[in-house]
Amino acid sequence: MKPVFARLWNRLSSINLTVALCLLLTMDLVWGYFCLNRRTALFTPLNDMGLIPWAQTYGSHNLMATGWFFLLLALLALLAANTFACTTSRVAQLLRAKGPGSRQRLALKLAPHIMHYGLIVILAGYLCSYLFTQVLTSSTLAPGSHLSLPGAGGQVQLLAVEPEYYQGERLAFWKNEVIALKARLLLSDESGQRQAVLSCNRPVRFQGYSLHLIDFAPKSLNGMKMKTRIDLHVRKDPGVALYLAGMALFSLGLVLYLYQWIVHREAHK
Amino acid sequence: MRMFNILRPGDCTLALTALIVLLTAAGCNNDPSTTSPAAGKGAGEERPAFLQIGEFAINRISPARTEVRDGAGRALVLIPREAPMPADCAPNQVVRVPVQRVVAYGDFDIATLRALGVQETLVGVTRSQEHWYVPEIKRGMEAGRIAYLGDASSIDFERLKQQQPELVLTWDPSIIPLLDALHIPAVVTTTPQAMCLTARMRFVQFLAPFFHKEKEADAFFARIDASLRDIRARTAGVAHQPKVMWGDVYEKRVMVEPGNAWVGELVGLAQSDYQFEDVFGTSCIEITVERFLYSGQDADIFFTYRTGSMGASSKAALAKLNPLIKDIGPLQRGRVYAPLPHYSQSGDKLDEILTEISAILHPEVYPGYQLHYFAELPDSDPIAAKEASHDRI
Repeated sequence: MKPVFARLWNRLSSINLTVALCLLLTMDLVWGYFCLNRRTALFTPLNDMGLIPWAQTYGSHNLMATGWFFLLLALLALLAANTFACTTSRVAQLLRAKGPGSRQRLALKLAPHIMHYGLIVILAGYLCSYLFTQVLTSSTLAPGSHLSLPGAGGQVQLLAVEPEYYQGERLAFWKNEVIALKARLLLSDESGQRQAVLSCNRPVRFQGYSLHLIDFAPKSLNGMKMKTRIDLHVRKDPGVALYLAGMALFSLGLVLYLYQWIVHREAHK
Repeated sequence: MRMFNILRPGDCTLALTALIVLLTAAGCNNDPSTTSPAAGKGAGEERPAFLQIGEFAINRISPARTEVRDGAGRALVLIPREAPMPADCAPNQVVRVPVQRVVAYGDFDIATLRALGVQETLVGVTRSQEHWYVPEIKRGMEAGRIAYLGDASSIDFERLKQQQPELVLTWDPSIIPLLDALHIPAVVTTTPQAMCLTARMRFVQFLAPFFHKEKEADAFFARIDASLRDIRARTAGVAHQPKVMWGDVYEKRVMVEPGNAWVGELVGLAQSDYQFEDVFGTSCIEITVERFLYSGQDADIFFTYRTGSMGASSKAALAKLNPLIKDIGPLQRGRVYAPLPHYSQSGDKLDEILTEISAILHPEVYPGYQLHYFAELPDSDPIAAKEASHDRI
């Protein structure tokens, strides 16, 4: 039994497998580029309905256009396994070979491996997001209206929308178009009330949920007069903590690697 | 070469085998609802458990539950009228079917109700009686069964509440918070990107489960599909491919139909070149005037958004309204078409509209065709021309 496991581990940790996977990933992503470009509507729901329901509906009913995505998942799973096996083998070697008083050197030598573990945690975080995120899609707010967060006592009220219009002269067709938008929200729960500002790249976090601005109206001072509204996605994403941890790990590895590189360069001067 | 040397067949086999296993597992659908007839239908009636129509989708979960995704990506749950309220979704997401009272904003939504044969469910519209060309709606408004709820931008919600709708079909998501307060579910029937031809044809199948009219929807789709086959067959061997543009120049803005819209696709399908094929986005999208004029240089046919009452009475009238476009090909040497007032309310005759557009593009393969939904604009207005000839005398 042991030789079989050892053989499998060796195969899994092979650099040749890494190269094969990278080539396959490249080819798969080329296929994915064309599918995403031509069938965007197929993939948009993946952002809010979760991987399993999406795979059972949009995914499995359009395999010609979505097959690349399943293949991508499989390739990334293999790449994660390959990275884990390869990195763990190397780390084990380093730990076995460490001499006395070389803790700092060992830490520096581990830098690329820390980055590899970080990458695996980031991938796991994304998978966790796609598998377990709860998204409330039917959330439109007009000034004065509010929504209740499911399973929590919190309420979100839209106080005001503050659009910023393009007033420059260089891009005439952008004149009077909204180029940035701030939505002032009143967040209430049993502990009290507070105000928060929501904008396109600035979600608001409240009671374990994150509120994301998806769309708004009006988008221009010109043309058809639309009533003021904002559309929100309210998400509860357990993967965020995981991929933030992965990014922290990756950053730590990167800092150690840079430090090692600078020390190495100074030593060779 | 080095790269290929380091790849051993064993590694590739391991990678590929694992991939195939995982891909098969991911692609397999063990949900019996996708292969069995949807519950709640008659014997022998097979329906796909999942149907995607552009950005809309229908997912038949069980006889007592169908989940739909509207044009704004909002999830709604359809349950039988007598069924208990499901516990896993908000009340404003639940629609009891078959729906018996509907308020509709869009002309195409109302045309779709007519295509399904459920126009009697309509109880509210956002266009006053004098703007309707559909006899049933005019009669319904005269009888007081259908209420004018005010302009879409200023709905009278008191009036809407009095009509007791069970569903509102709207293009304006900003009314949803107020409808939520009134406990009236809403479906957004427009999409951020223009509807493609297939989505336009199949939209009727999206609304069908709300009324239990799937058979009627399938029949309507089959009719449109047959007209498209006819268009393909007739135009397959045409020698000349006209260049077509669809849109208009307004005082400050230039709006066109993008290449991903159904008209762009139809023009291509009818062996013609759509001048805005590379423009992608929402229906009636804004482009620069320079782009419009550039595409207009060698265009043959121009479909304007304006009707006669909006000033599209002749090429000269259009050129007078927008002097910028007076030199584009269709106004100088080609043809210009304006929609007739009832065109926008005739979505239930989509097959006839598609055929008419094809007949405009290729009159040579539709000998003797009479236009019903569009009018070809003369070079000048008959009255203006008459006055000019008087002046010359």
